[in-house]
Amino acid sequence: MEEPATFERHVYKNASVYHYMKMSLILEDESKRLIAAEFKQLIVSGLRDLYGEIGAAIPFDLLTFDESTKTAILRVYNSGLVKLWSAITLIGSCQNELCAVRVTQVSPFLLALCGNSRETELD
Amino acid sequence: MSPELERFPRNILVCERSNFLNEKSRHGIHVSKHYFNYKVSIFIPECGILPAGLSSVIKSFNSYFLVQKLPVYKLIEEVFLDEVVKKGGFYALSHKTRIDEDNTIAFLPSGQMILSLDKDTYEQLGLEGKPSLYNHRNARRYVVTVDFTDKSMTVGGKRYQRVLLGLKERVPLTCDFLLSRYSTGTDEDGALQGLLSQYSFEVIRPAQYSQTLRIVPCPTLHPSDLQGKAGSCDPHQFLEWLGSVNMGIRCDNSASDFLSTYVCPEPQDSMSQALLYTITGFLIPEDIQSLLQELQRYFDEPKFSPWLSLTVHGFVDSPVSWGTMEHGFLSSGENFYNFVCFKNQDYWLHMATGALDGCPP
Amino acid sequence: MSVFMDLNISYTTDRKRLQAMIETAAHLGYSTVAINYTVEFQQKKQEIPRPKSVTELFEKLPIVQGKSSPIKVVNRLTVVTADAAHFRPTAEYKSFDLVAVYPKTEKLFHTACMTFDVDIICIATTEKQPFHFKRSPVNGAIERGVFFEICYTPAIRDSTMRKYTIANALCLMEICKGKNVILSSAAEKVLELRGPYDIANLGLVFGLSEGDAKAAVSTNCRSVLLHGETRTTAFGIIHTVKKVQPTTKQTDEAEAPASKKTKTENI
Repeated sequence: MEEPATFERHVYKNASVYHYMKMSLILEDESKRLIAAEFKQLIVSGLRDLYGEIGAAIPFDLLTFDESTKTAILRVYNSGLVKLWSAITLIGSCQNELCAVRVTQVSPFLLALCGNSRETELD
Repeated sequence: MSPELERFPRNILVCERSNFLNEKSRHGIHVSKHYFNYKVSIFIPECGILPAGLSSVIKSFNSYFLVQKLPVYKLIEEVFLDEVVKKGGFYALSHKTRIDEDNTIAFLPSGQMILSLDKDTYEQLGLEGKPSLYNHRNARRYVVTVDFTDKSMTVGGKRYQRVLLGLKERVPLTCDFLLSRYSTGTDEDGALQGLLSQYSFEVIRPAQYSQTLRIVPCPTLHPSDLQGKAGSCDPHQFLEWLGSVNMGIRCDNSASDFLSTYVCPEPQDSMSQALLYTITGFLIPEDIQSLLQELQRYFDEPKFSPWLSLTVHGFVDSPVSWGTMEHGFLSSGENFYNFVCFKNQDYWLHMATGALDGCPP
Repeated sequence: MSVFMDLNISYTTDRKRLQAMIETAAHLGYSTVAINYTVEFQQKKQEIPRPKSVTELFEKLPIVQGKSSPIKVVNRLTVVTADAAHFRPTAEYKSFDLVAVYPKTEKLFHTACMTFDVDIICIATTEKQPFHFKRSPVNGAIERGVFFEICYTPAIRDSTMRKYTIANALCLMEICKGKNVILSSAAEKVLELRGPYDIANLGLVFGLSEGDAKAAVSTNCRSVLLHGETRTTAFGIIHTVKKVQPTTKQTDEAEAPASKKTKTENI
């Protein structure tokens, strides 16, 4: 058994390496299906369109993609956040069809994405 | 490329380590000062169903009220002020108001009223306040704090009248409110019921949701190694992992995978199952306090798991995070804390805030 | 900060589409939108349209996401022209809450900034701005409380237009330093609308700072609406507004007395 702790406190400013984004894809044809790899590809192309090859190389992770709701959670290094977000904003078509990617939440803490009081109706 | 495009909103994470049995431990203060809580989630490794003790504590959580179109001045009229606001344990937060757009109002259990107002409303109201800490270029938002327990604010006095008349006549602010009151068991809710009966309101029970997770890889935690310097994961990695578990994010990836390279931090164990229990609503600190106390008793009997965790999310549109510390919303409004409770009554406390917020206490 | 606004939703005779756009704007969190009627002066004689009343469009306006109040809809006229003679603020202009001009020449840009009685000056997004932005007209417009508008829909539609939009925006920012800029959609379809936080972030790409970018979809739009109000009243039009009891938490900002405006803006 370890000794009971003595008080210890640390303050971290901007120590989180990542930002996390929650979003959903809206397609003109709502019944159209998309798999995770296609969604990730869509975003990589968006990055390439706006920022070229360096943009396409910005690393990000598609942590989840729910095919039924087309909802995704992305993880990106802090330095890539603004670029990834703006590229996503300007995505306007997906497989020759109009689309929009609606970002619903952005946070430096993944944990915060499951406790957003703006998301749920209490009543 | 412009350096602006590489920037990102600032965030703060405070990590504390202590022991619940330590007399000077401040865990109780941190919980009680985080007034407006939207969601609580408990994570217990190697546990299938919620233990009876915890279940009964959660059952006893206070109901809260959602009142529609309530004029703010009604909350500071003499009877209500004396019978409810000044007695303590009363919480109110304007509902469907956004802290970066709208006028937002909160009543703290300490008997204080916080008005976070746009400039026009502030000027019309004519009460003394301070420009918001998060104004841009010109001051467009002001914060008025009125302490009704202050001697100079006695009912009938000049300063009190000024506040009352301001909110009743000059700017009759009205909004939907979430209200809750810590009940001490005695029948003192007459004034509150009297007020509610004049408006359209609902009594709401906190919503509960339970989930059992199977075979979860988890990082190994050592109570003495809060910072992750002795080989375990650092606080951000731990919180990220906890988030991933909460949202069903897979971590069986490798660095070369196309979709995601996320992996569980090393060194890791695997738990055969885990309980994830969440409660949402307008949850008061007193209830969270009793929940935390019950969680401390979890290890009274021998358990397989060396630790468990409690996460509490604040309302993103609250005008305060901890105490009267001003809270804002830039592109997000996170303010949450997380306890990791260990067998030996040691605990870790993580407190996090976003871009427009102070450093957690 | 004030509530979020999109002061440019393109008018269409397709009523269903217009309704859907306004519903989507409310869903995305915009509290106010302007329906934009565009007149382009190719020939000399061009009719100024009459704005449709909002009640024709909706019996009950959609509720803004996360709030208890309905979206507010105003009407806007945009005059696209290369010739100052085409800009004649006649009585027909006054039936619009907002008036914008899209100047096609440097000379007209200068006049628009310095003298035109408008609320908004549009920056080119579908072509390279055909002239340089000069400090004196830009500052003149800023002093007069006129705002520059950059629309993002062309940047979504087409990669060439995207280059124009970003280039023109960056040129403008060098001169105006992020002041008096609004960002709006100019959307013609539901899927061209984006949320206010998305646009605030996009503003960084256009050369705005974080704070200026968020103001460009909120506070600055509010100033435009106030400017529009003083403009219509300054013409001596009798304009009776039933003073709505400010019952909601949102003491309707647009209804602040005009006399307060200058004071508000200078502090």
